[in-house]
Amino acid sequence: MASLSNLKEIPSVSSPTSVGHGYNYVPELDQYPKINLKNELINPPANRISISHSFIPVETESVPKRISRTFFDGGFWESLTEARSEKTREQAPVISKAADFIAHMLELYSSFKLKIFPHTQQLSAERIAQYAETRDWINSSVRYIAWHVHVFKLAVAGMDDVVRIYGKTTESHGGIGHVLKSATQTQITCMAWRPLCAFELVVGCSQGLCFWIIDNNLHLGRTINPSYTLKHPSNLPISSLKWSKDGSLLASSSIGDRAILIWHPDSKRVKPLKRLGPPGSLLSWSPNNEWIFAATVDRVFRVWKCHNKWTSDRWVCDGGNVQACCWSPCSRFLLFVNTADPILYRLQFVQLILMKSKADDKEVLPVADLNACSLDSSNQTFIGGTAQQLVWDPHGKYVVITFKSTNSIAIFRTYIQKYDLQISGGYYLNGQSPSEYPSFISFQPLNKDNDRSVLTIGWSTGRIQFYGLD
Amino acid sequence: MSEAALNTCKLLLFGRCVRAVLLSVGVQFLLLTVFLLLINFELFHPLNWIMSSLRLVCSFYTWFACIPLLGAIVFYGMTLSHQHLAERRYWPTRYRWLLHNGPQKLLFLFAHAIVGYLTAWLYTGYLHTDYRHFIFKAYGQDCVNSYHIFLLGMGLCAGAYYFATEYMQEEASIDFDFAEQSRSEKLREVLYATLLKAPMSSVMPTICYTFVFWLFGTFLRYRLSIVLNVDTDDRLLGIVDVITNGRLLFYAWLLGAQIVSNMRLMRCFYAAILSEPLPMTVARHRLSVPGEQELTIVAGLGVFNVYVVQCLAANFLYQEAQRQTSSVRSEIFQLTEPGNRPANWRALCDQCLSILDSFTDELSNSMRKSNVDQPIYSDTSSALLAEKLLLRQYNQLHGIRPVVAPQHAEGPSRDWNTKSTDSIRRVPNWCERTSTKLEELLQEVLHRIPGIVYFFYEPEGAKTEFLLENALPVIWLTQALAQICVASIKEDNYGIVQDDLPAIIKALHRLKCDLDRLANGTPNFRTNSSNFNHLRYAVRRSLYNICISFYKYLGDLTSSGEELRQLQTFVYQG
Repeated sequence: MASLSNLKEIPSVSSPTSVGHGYNYVPELDQYPKINLKNELINPPANRISISHSFIPVETESVPKRISRTFFDGGFWESLTEARSEKTREQAPVISKAADFIAHMLELYSSFKLKIFPHTQQLSAERIAQYAETRDWINSSVRYIAWHVHVFKLAVAGMDDVVRIYGKTTESHGGIGHVLKSATQTQITCMAWRPLCAFELVVGCSQGLCFWIIDNNLHLGRTINPSYTLKHPSNLPISSLKWSKDGSLLASSSIGDRAILIWHPDSKRVKPLKRLGPPGSLLSWSPNNEWIFAATVDRVFRVWKCHNKWTSDRWVCDGGNVQACCWSPCSRFLLFVNTADPILYRLQFVQLILMKSKADDKEVLPVADLNACSLDSSNQTFIGGTAQQLVWDPHGKYVVITFKSTNSIAIFRTYIQKYDLQISGGYYLNGQSPSEYPSFISFQPLNKDNDRSVLTIGWSTGRIQFYGLD
Repeated sequence: MSEAALNTCKLLLFGRCVRAVLLSVGVQFLLLTVFLLLINFELFHPLNWIMSSLRLVCSFYTWFACIPLLGAIVFYGMTLSHQHLAERRYWPTRYRWLLHNGPQKLLFLFAHAIVGYLTAWLYTGYLHTDYRHFIFKAYGQDCVNSYHIFLLGMGLCAGAYYFATEYMQEEASIDFDFAEQSRSEKLREVLYATLLKAPMSSVMPTICYTFVFWLFGTFLRYRLSIVLNVDTDDRLLGIVDVITNGRLLFYAWLLGAQIVSNMRLMRCFYAAILSEPLPMTVARHRLSVPGEQELTIVAGLGVFNVYVVQCLAANFLYQEAQRQTSSVRSEIFQLTEPGNRPANWRALCDQCLSILDSFTDELSNSMRKSNVDQPIYSDTSSALLAEKLLLRQYNQLHGIRPVVAPQHAEGPSRDWNTKSTDSIRRVPNWCERTSTKLEELLQEVLHRIPGIVYFFYEPEGAKTEFLLENALPVIWLTQALAQICVASIKEDNYGIVQDDLPAIIKALHRLKCDLDRLANGTPNFRTNSSNFNHLRYAVRRSLYNICISFYKYLGDLTSSGEELRQLQTFVYQG
């Protein structure tokens, strides 16, 4: 079993050009955009000012008037808070007592409702962050990175709920393209470019799925709002989404819903794949379109067979829940990690013709030990622990792992054979400072413009780094 | 299309329809059990409640009394099968549609009414004695039972209501599942969804029927009493009598829910069973027995008069094209003996291209027809026009005035006028002028007569809409064809596909341009309909799939520089 103890430092950075642009020198990477999201973030959610904050309320207005104004400005709950405020308590104690009574009754009702229907619990940002692939999702500048499958287009979602599209840099063009921003797009958890389309991006957020279709003939008025939005049938936030290989189907899951939703966006239809068990958290469609890996918020995870009447096989972890997973480019192997133990597991999807047994198909094998270990003799820099994210390079030669509590990135070498997979130690990669950690990582897909494995790292400082692997 | 293929299709579909009818017959007992459990509910004696209900279902009375209803279900199934398997033809005017479809629709309405009536008749037999009989004795005299009539009427009304909402204007259609699950899961899902939805869906027909019964009920009972030579009872005379009788309303609502869910279930069973994948072959095997049911994909695609078969063939090809490894695909790329010729690919490609081209031609013609007075804009100019329109709307919204005075667009009519003034015009004589005027006057008068335009004129864009509604085979064919072309890079050992790539690209590009034109340039057309979007994006993705896979060779595969430029732009910019 491979381990982190014999990792070497990745070949040193030979051409650090700027803050957001450090890499081992590969000429093609010169055309990659220089991105530092910290400088570009506009109006993060915490600093947002609503229109009502721009006006100073009149001091002399009566209590009923103030409450009714708050009701029309901020809704029922705001007005109830206003009715229970200290100021109202002083001016009109009867009203505040009545508000206390109403609030008490509503609390009783909601606690009673939660006891009967525990799944109707509001999904807070903390709960979303618990199952997101992005490390420290709430405070991370970079919330998601998605590469276009066929052409050079990179979408980066920031904590300001804005998606920025980048292209190649040229002498005349800095690389930044469209900026996708909308009021219906908040708390972005995932996104994906639609395969076989030039510009169709779907963003999964707390409001559902926002589809951005940019027709280059029509610039005006299109980026103000998504082309259309599809809401989860129970109005739940989307926690994970993946397109099928041909871009006809979209699978999504939500941490509040047991079913996986298979969307047919063109006809705007949805089909839930239901199974008893905990709600879903993470999805991953195999590159050959045959399987969907679906993790849940509990120990259970499933693999759905897309071409076999959408039946599923079920597995149970020893503890925790599946945190991250990735498919091999050939779709024969799946690697995953859970939150309970720092071990990298393997699932095999190879149909053995000889010596076939039922148990072999379903066997989960540990392939790498991810227990934390020191990278230097002074025991100051550690690598390992519970994994945060896994990505497999499109050539199938490297698996890259980030961790929840340590800041270095581990790169394992992989050798894919027809019926076997071997993993051995590779490299580790650090940020520019010891405190800098990777928020999100992703590989650029192979296409006609790119035949190299380019690792894209969104660091906690907001810079995006591109690293070309051999 | 050969006679043998048609017979094979008919046999296969007949078998499926029989299975759907049998399933519909079986579900009657399930629905009856649900009904009996609901009306005999006893909170404090649950065992007794369940046992007595099940005993009633299994009783001889039920089995005998069910016979008329089951007969009606078989009749309903036959008419439904006919609706599903009938040829889908375009009727330009409502009059012609009515002339052709009217009798069939009437027959189908009758089937709905008879199923509704017989369901109500059977179910009332299990109700309280006050509701059970058509005629009852009151003070020694035979009277018509108003409660019973009310419930029978509710059965008729529920059947007619379902027909009116689902089938009156639309053809019986099948929603092909994009995530095909096993039959048991599909049926279970349908059953749950129907039984959950039925209680709400029967509220409105119950309220409407109650109101209608209050208006015409008295007259109906009076006529019935005369026909049957009995007295009328004095119940349900006013609206208050009707709306205060909770039990009657509950029974009516329950009956409505049962009938509506029964019909919905039958529809779903038909859709589920008819849309099941049809086993097809690429080529007819030489060793196959003559009587064996073997249908080739090409023959299936050629069954133009049975829409379901064409859809199933296209879907089969699409599914096989999407698979990672497919024996069907490898058979397509094989050379056939004798002669080592790519007969399989040739037949398939020709069939697909012929369907695509004829669809594109029809679509273009229909668009031209609906835009007689408007110029047909090119792809880019229509996009520019749309952008101009958006810009104008934006400026108007924000109060931005144009710097220069707006110039009126010069349409083709103006061009024509200018040209005509330049050239020498022939002045028509008084006779021609008078006849033209008379013709115009007559048309104007005809237009003013209510119903004439509605029945005898073709609605604008109707043909286009019809084509888009029935474009499912084209949607799957384009994607399948593109995927086969892409797979040929690795799997086509003999290079048989590459000769046809230019024709395939050209066909897809032509269709894509037409659809873009429809989306951008044609006003007053519902381009946001799901059928249109489905087709448009499927065609775009298919073309993109081929272009991105053969990007290096696009120059060799396209016939003109303009087409090449458009395709290259399409790959990068959409």
